Amino acid sequence: MKTKLIALAALLLVLFSVSLSAEGSGEQEIEKVSLILNWRPVGDHAPYFVALKKGWYAEEALEVDIQIGKGSGFAVQSVDTGKADFGIADTAVSVTGRAKGASVRVVSALFAKSPNCVHVWKDSGITHPRDLVGKTVGVPAADTQKVMFPAFAAIIGIDPDQVKFVNIDPAAKTAALATRKVDAIFDLYTGRPLHEQAIPADQLVSLLWADYGFQAYSNSIITTDKMIEENPDLIKRFIRASLRGWEWTLQNPEEAIKILGEYHTINQTVLLENLRYVMDFFRSDDYEKNGLGHIDPEAMAATVGLVDKYMGVAVTFSVDEMYTNDFLPKPKINLPDF
Amino acid sequence: MKKIWYVLWVRNRTAVTLVGFLILWQLAVTVFRIQEVFLPSPISALMHLFFRQPDASYLWIKNISATLFEILIGFAVTIFLGIFIAIIVSWSQMSRKFFIPLFIFINSLPIVAIAPIILLWLGYGLYTNVLIAFLVSFFPMVMNTTTGLNSVDEDLLDLVRYHGAKKWQILVKIRFPNSLTYIFSGLKICSTLIVVGVIVGEFVASDKGLGYIIVNSQFTLDTPAIFAALILIAIIGLGLFGLVSFLEKLLMPWQKAANG
Repeated sequence: MKTKLIALAALLLVLFSVSLSAEGSGEQEIEKVSLILNWRPVGDHAPYFVALKKGWYAEEALEVDIQIGKGSGFAVQSVDTGKADFGIADTAVSVTGRAKGASVRVVSALFAKSPNCVHVWKDSGITHPRDLVGKTVGVPAADTQKVMFPAFAAIIGIDPDQVKFVNIDPAAKTAALATRKVDAIFDLYTGRPLHEQAIPADQLVSLLWADYGFQAYSNSIITTDKMIEENPDLIKRFIRASLRGWEWTLQNPEEAIKILGEYHTINQTVLLENLRYVMDFFRSDDYEKNGLGHIDPEAMAATVGLVDKYMGVAVTFSVDEMYTNDFLPKPKINLPDF
Repeated sequence: MKKIWYVLWVRNRTAVTLVGFLILWQLAVTVFRIQEVFLPSPISALMHLFFRQPDASYLWIKNISATLFEILIGFAVTIFLGIFIAIIVSWSQMSRKFFIPLFIFINSLPIVAIAPIILLWLGYGLYTNVLIAFLVSFFPMVMNTTTGLNSVDEDLLDLVRYHGAKKWQILVKIRFPNSLTYIFSGLKICSTLIVVGVIVGEFVASDKGLGYIIVNSQFTLDTPAIFAALILIAIIGLGLFGLVSFLEKLLMPWQKAANG
């Protein structure tokens, strides 16, 4: 009974001090916003849960509801229809969405280069993406990597029709390669730790498209034109807290995954590995110079160009309409050492 | 002595079969040294269920109760709506001609194709999963109940009509009690479909539940956890079926002899 009373008193005290501090600083009212992820919880979603747990969203007077995602396409749809205020989505998919009439725009970059990747067995004889000619590749039909392959094929100088594709379920990628049903799979580089569960790490070779001249943005944060028009201040606060989450996560990956594990049922060992691979995609000269989340106009133009050429939709808007750097924090959040 | 063993076998055939299956499975995995990613041993699956794992907290209690809650709500909704719809359908020849083709249409839609669209309308969570469970399982419920409500002795109906019975009186006093057998056979089919429906809903998107554990674990190839969740789902399905059978015996003791 006594402990209960003490706990109650403590709670009241906390509530009181919170309300007092809110009054004292003339704080805005707490605004509710939602963020839809691009997938089920994985390593690169940790930063948002870190910002939530550490109270950085609360400091910006935001109450953030982080929703489980179902692919970038779904995130774009959800943000466009107002089911979520912000979304994490593959930039190429966002561009495709906008070309089809969705009013989404990129407000912060995340992965500075493309994690598109070819995974093969070491003894397969495939040492360069060019060697895929005549080989079988397992990849879901709607996978962005499958859709973008013609672009990559043009860069490395092969005929995309000479590669044989097998349509497989996303969850079956590892099994298909491990049992050698296919010669190669297309999967993001960050998926490597998952495949290492079934294929010994020293037997698994991953060829990153970016290393062979493929330039495109991957995951980024999107919102709608309407939000940009109506509540620019809210976007600024959301981006600032989210990028603080990233800054901290890059420096403390273990703790970040632990925090993610408090919110979701995840395999922490595998997702920590996954996050470490993700971190490689944040080592960027542009981030070094202009701060975390900065969108490089040239790289964005390349991404939009890819979509226009290979995704089967005509991009009728200018590249400037697809993104804005206006909401990034000032002063910028520097890329930490990691 | 021999007799006791015989009685044990006869009484617990289900349990003996189940245990035998588990032992064979365990042996196969050990003898052929199958990698855990491809097929975990039952022991490993049970360890994931009962003991804390170093690299993941599965929060079984929270996830089991989430799924169980969705299943029970889904079941309740399907029972009440199913019977209600069946009454409307069986009310007249007209309504039958109108509704039955519609239900056949809905029932033929592949649920995995509609689920993502429902998700877009309702978001993920309780409502979506209950709706999916309902869509998967309402058809046998409605059809069985309708058949039951209509399969009444015409002579009996003539008799009570002659005595001035109203349509609703016939429904409550004759048609409904008469259709209990059909309703329960519908409920039995329904009880397993509901479980499938809820899990499909959780597969599409969810932030808790056994389906959520399966999909998350699939992603990280955490196969023992998947099997642990599958075992739990099977137990829930069996339990629900058992509950319906128990209620059937309770409400219709005269059926016991017929069912064995």
